[in-house]
Formats: sequence, structure tokens, C-alpha cells
Amino acid sequence: MDPEHLAQLESALAHVTGFIYPNEVELHWSILIVIYPYLTGLVAGAFILASLEKVFNVKELQPTYRLALLTALAFLIVAPMPLQAHLGHPERAFEIFLTPNSASAMAMFGFVYAWYLMVVLLMEIWFDYRADLVRWRQSDKGVMKLVHWVVSLGSRDVSPAAVAFDRKAVQFITIVGIPSAFLLHGYVGFIFGSVKANPWWSSVLMPIVFLFSAIVSGISMVLLIYYVTTLLRRKELDMKCLNTLASFLLYALIIDLSLEALDFIHRLYESEESIEILEQLIFGKLFLSLTIVQILLGTIVPMVFLAAARFSELPDEMKRMIYFVAALLVQVGIFSTRWNVVIGGQLFSKSLRGLTAYKLELGGQEGLLVAIGLLVLPFLILALLLKILPPWEEAKTSPEPSEAPLA
Amino acid sequence: MIKSLLRSVIALRTWIRGWRRGSSSRKIPTQVIQLGVIFLAVGVGMFLLRQKFVPETFGDLGHYRAAAVAANAELELRYAGWQECAACHPDKVETKNASFHRNVSCEACHGPASDHTNRPMRLRPELPTGREPCLACHRYLASRPTGFPQIIEERHNPVRACTGCHDAHDPTPPESIQECSACHNTIARSKAVSPHAPLDCEVCHDTPAEHKMQPRAHVPKKPFEREFCGTCHARDAQPPEVIRDVDLTVYDIPRIDLITHGGTFVCWQCHYQHSPEAR
Repeated sequence: MDPEHLAQLESALAHVTGFIYPNEVELHWSILIVIYPYLTGLVAGAFILASLEKVFNVKELQPTYRLALLTALAFLIVAPMPLQAHLGHPERAFEIFLTPNSASAMAMFGFVYAWYLMVVLLMEIWFDYRADLVRWRQSDKGVMKLVHWVVSLGSRDVSPAAVAFDRKAVQFITIVGIPSAFLLHGYVGFIFGSVKANPWWSSVLMPIVFLFSAIVSGISMVLLIYYVTTLLRRKELDMKCLNTLASFLLYALIIDLSLEALDFIHRLYESEESIEILEQLIFGKLFLSLTIVQILLGTIVPMVFLAAARFSELPDEMKRMIYFVAALLVQVGIFSTRWNVVIGGQLFSKSLRGLTAYKLELGGQEGLLVAIGLLVLPFLILALLLKILPPWEEAKTSPEPSEAPLA
Repeated sequence: MIKSLLRSVIALRTWIRGWRRGSSSRKIPTQVIQLGVIFLAVGVGMFLLRQKFVPETFGDLGHYRAAAVAANAELELRYAGWQECAACHPDKVETKNASFHRNVSCEACHGPASDHTNRPMRLRPELPTGREPCLACHRYLASRPTGFPQIIEERHNPVRACTGCHDAHDPTPPESIQECSACHNTIARSKAVSPHAPLDCEVCHDTPAEHKMQPRAHVPKKPFEREFCGTCHARDAQPPEVIRDVDLTVYDIPRIDLITHGGTFVCWQCHYQHSPEAR
């Protein structure tokens, strides 16, 4: 055995308590697998937020519609990267498309991803931006002219009929997109929920819990990005939009917390043989990340903040500061939710008699630096997307259409 | 949401009707054609990639390359299989197949024997010696199933080869304590893996024959003084050399000075006599 690996194993052994099987000393799913559901959750959440404006006609959220779509795209592009870094050999990833294996949920992820990326997100963004792209191209100069020409796929038609068709297409894709977004993140929950050998994961509620935590994370991330980009552009924040975002974030948080509580109470009431080791896990290894960070700082405190700011007579400046802090806390909370699921589920032995520890490396393929890189990358991609496809109100070349009449 | 869905469906239907009737909106919108070209290109690309990269026999038998079976079959054989062993060693295989080792293949202990079956006289299979080959399965591990024979090697007849007492082809324990263990099972099991394993219960407990019939009325005697343990463990003691056919001279029996060791305590206040840990 590799001496370095042996030394790692030895240091991990020092943190083992009770009895565990030899292959459980080291965790196989590292921080990269924590990042994967975190990123996909943000994608699904941001898309569902965008759909609120288009499908559910929440007009207050109009300033964040395009921003939410671009956020979803930026995070979606990075979402499979942690998996590829974890598995190695990214050049083989396309093989799952060549030989589809419908018996493997993990292998089908490629298709869920491809459907969501190509049929839902890219098409919706393309139809929504198409007319603008054509018009921007006319006034563009240099590289940007070429970029906009490529992104518009050489499209030229900006006749009222074509633009009307774009709007209908966007609406139709959004409607298809909602179940697709549910599928994307519900699927991630399904992967964990279907591991029947692991009592911490195996729950039919898992896809639904994942879904609502995705909505929570998506809304709070778009709120944060809207806040920061507006300030950086030295523009005025739309308080109506922020208030509505805060309201939806609060409602989603309430549902998310209720579902988690239901899951917890259900486990407690069932009291299967795993309950003792799970109790040790919750009050021992995960006490800080679950009880303190996820539940208290990541859920209850933001809920109190949001409710207090939303339904009080505080000045707008104060309100938006509170929204910002609450959204930031929600992000920390959601990240620790993913951590507690992925890492927590591997900390106890299948013998239900012992616990191990996760030792996060700094460097290496699955280390902290790669993880930070993968968390920063979506923001760089988003910055590029914002440059190519500015979602701001002043960049629009045609006014927002009035409600399309029923034919 | 239902309203929006309805609106989309109606709009789509209107557009399709108009296109069928040959009205001015008959033309497929250019953006749909552009997207269609992209999707077609992706589809054709995937088709070509499949043609190039999916192996010919993939999927013939299952979700794998069927030719892999033939490729594996062509690999050189190392294991001959127990049937080959039975052809020349029927007595051994018969004994083994009637014993607790009936599910253990010959080559699990003797190693890959394909070379031996091809050239029986020139290449001999391994003959496992010592304790290590048996300990691979019988070393004590908490995760082994309850009832599976396991030993703690330091305490179970240390240094003796397993085959000195056990026949590997019929590994039934050579002697198992029957009578006392019927009631004192926990003690018997502790003692069986302890350095006191060779000692009969009667060595220390003077047991009337009636005890088996009326255990409460005829209680066996227990040692009550330090000197009893000193029979074997005192510095100048001369214990018997053989007990129950076990040669005690190979053991390094711990010796103590009865006068100074342990003050006024009796031995069993510090040592559990059925599994004395001190060596």
C-alpha cells in the first residue's frame, strides 16, 4: 500500500470510536459530493424562482427573472464538475450517453442533466434573449458583435410575429421546466433516498426535502446576487422585488423546516435499530454542523430575521440589510445541510456500532482548494454571462409586453 | 399555472391550424428552424459517436460487451476446481465434503492448483503450515457471525500449529467439554480460549458425582487459599508435566513468590481464574 495513504489511514483511525468495518474508516464521498447537490439545488431553486414570474405571474419578481435564469445556467455548467473531479477520467463521461443504462439512477443523471441544460434552460434563455440579441448585434462593435451573432445562432427575425412566438415558447418551456427542475433536484434526493443500507439517507421524503431546500437555496442565492450586482452597478434596489423575494424565501424556509421536522419525528417515532447510532451522530459528530449551523443559524435565525423585517415598519435600508444577512445565513445553512447528508451518512458504521471521522485535505483532487475553486467558478461564469447577456432593465431593447390575450 | 398552460396550448393549436390552412403564418418560424438544425446536429453527432465508440457486441447479453466473456475465457486458468482434485484424492475430498469445511474449496487452502493438475508429479500445490492460513478465517473478529469458530491466537494454545490438534479436512474440535459446559457455558467458553484451557474443571474444583444430579445439594469445592494456585505458579512449584495429553512443559507458566506477591490478597481478587490474563 502507498505509504502516504497508509499514514492517512492511520491518522483517520485515531478518530474512530466503537466498532466499524475496515472499509468504513475513510469516507468515499468527499466534499466534492457535498458541493454537487449544493450546486444542483441552486440551479433548480433559481429556475423555480424564474418560473414564478413567467408562469405564476408574480410581476414583482420581474427584475430577477433573467438574472435567475443566468444564475441557474452558471451553476448548472459547474454542477457535474465535482462529480467528474471525484470520479476521475472526465473524458469518459460522455460514454453514459452512448450506452444508456436505465437500471442505474446515477447513469441516467446524464440524461436528466442534458434535458435540463439543452431543452429547458438554454432554450428558454435563447428564446427570451433572441430579439434583444438581434438588436444588440446591430449596435455592437468588435468581438461582442461576433459573440452576439454566435449566441443568436445567426437569427435576424425581429418581426412582431417572431417576437410573439418567442414569448409563447418561453412560457411553454417554463411550464415544462418546472417539473424538469423538480426532476433535476428530486433526482439528487432520490440517489440518496434510495440507498436502503444507509438509515441516515434511506427515506422517501429525501427527494422532497431536497427539492424544498433547493428552492430555499435558489431564492436566497438570487437575492444575494441581485443585491450585490445592483450595488456594484450603483443602481437602486427594487424594494418590491426584494420584499417579494424575502416573502417567498420565508415561505419556502417554513415548508423546508416542516419537512425536515416531519422526517426527524418520523425517524424518532419509528425508532428503528439505527436510532441509537443516529442519536450519537446528531449529538456528537454533527452537533455543530446540524444543530447549530443548519437548524439554528441556517434556518431559524433567518426565518426570524425575514419575518421581523418583512412584516415590520423598518426603513428600507434596514430591511434589505436584514434580507441580505438572512440570505447569507441560508446559504451557509444549506451548504451544511448538504454536508450533513453526504458526510453525516458516512460517519457511522453499517454495523451501527461505531463512528469514524472525515478528514478534509487541503490540496489534492478532492481537497479544500478544488472545492473552493468549484464554488467560485459559477460566479466567474455568471460574470461572463452577465457581460454577454446583460439581464438589466436598461439593456432591454423592447418594452415588456402586455399580457397576451387568450386566443 | 393551469391558465398559463391553457394559454400556451391554445396558442400552439392556433399556430398549427394557421400553418395547416396555409395562412400567412404557415412558415415555420426561423428561430425554430435554427434550433432544429442544432438539435439535429447533436442527434446526428450522437448517432455517429455511437457507431464509432459503442463496441459491436455491447448489449447482446446485458448492459456490457458480450465479447468480454470470451476475452475472459481466453485468460490462462490458474484454478483447477475441486472436481479435478477429487479425481486423484477422492478420500480427502470425501472427508472434507462431510465436514464443517464442506463449503471451503481445496484451492482456498492449497492455492491455485492448475499447474499441479497439468503436471501432478513435478509441481506440487502448497501445503499450508503454521497457524496463519487458518487464522485468515478463524482469528477472532467481532464482525464474524455469532457461532463461527474463532480464536484469540495469543490465548488459544499459543505457538502450536493448528494441525497438531485439528484435521484440516475434518476440523471438528478434537475434544469439546461436554458435561460442565452444559450448565456453566460462559465459564467454559472463557476457559476454552484461555491459558487454562488444558486444565479440567476438576483440577481446581473437587466435584462430587452427585452434583450432576442435584447441583444445589452437592456443591463442588472451590480453592480457598493462595497455596492452591501456588501448586503450579509458585516459584518452586513442580506442576505435572502432562495434563489431558497436553504437554505442559512447552508453556511458560507464570511464576510468583507466594510470600511477597499481592500482599494479603487471595489470587482471585486480582486474577479471573477462568481466564487469567497475566503471563
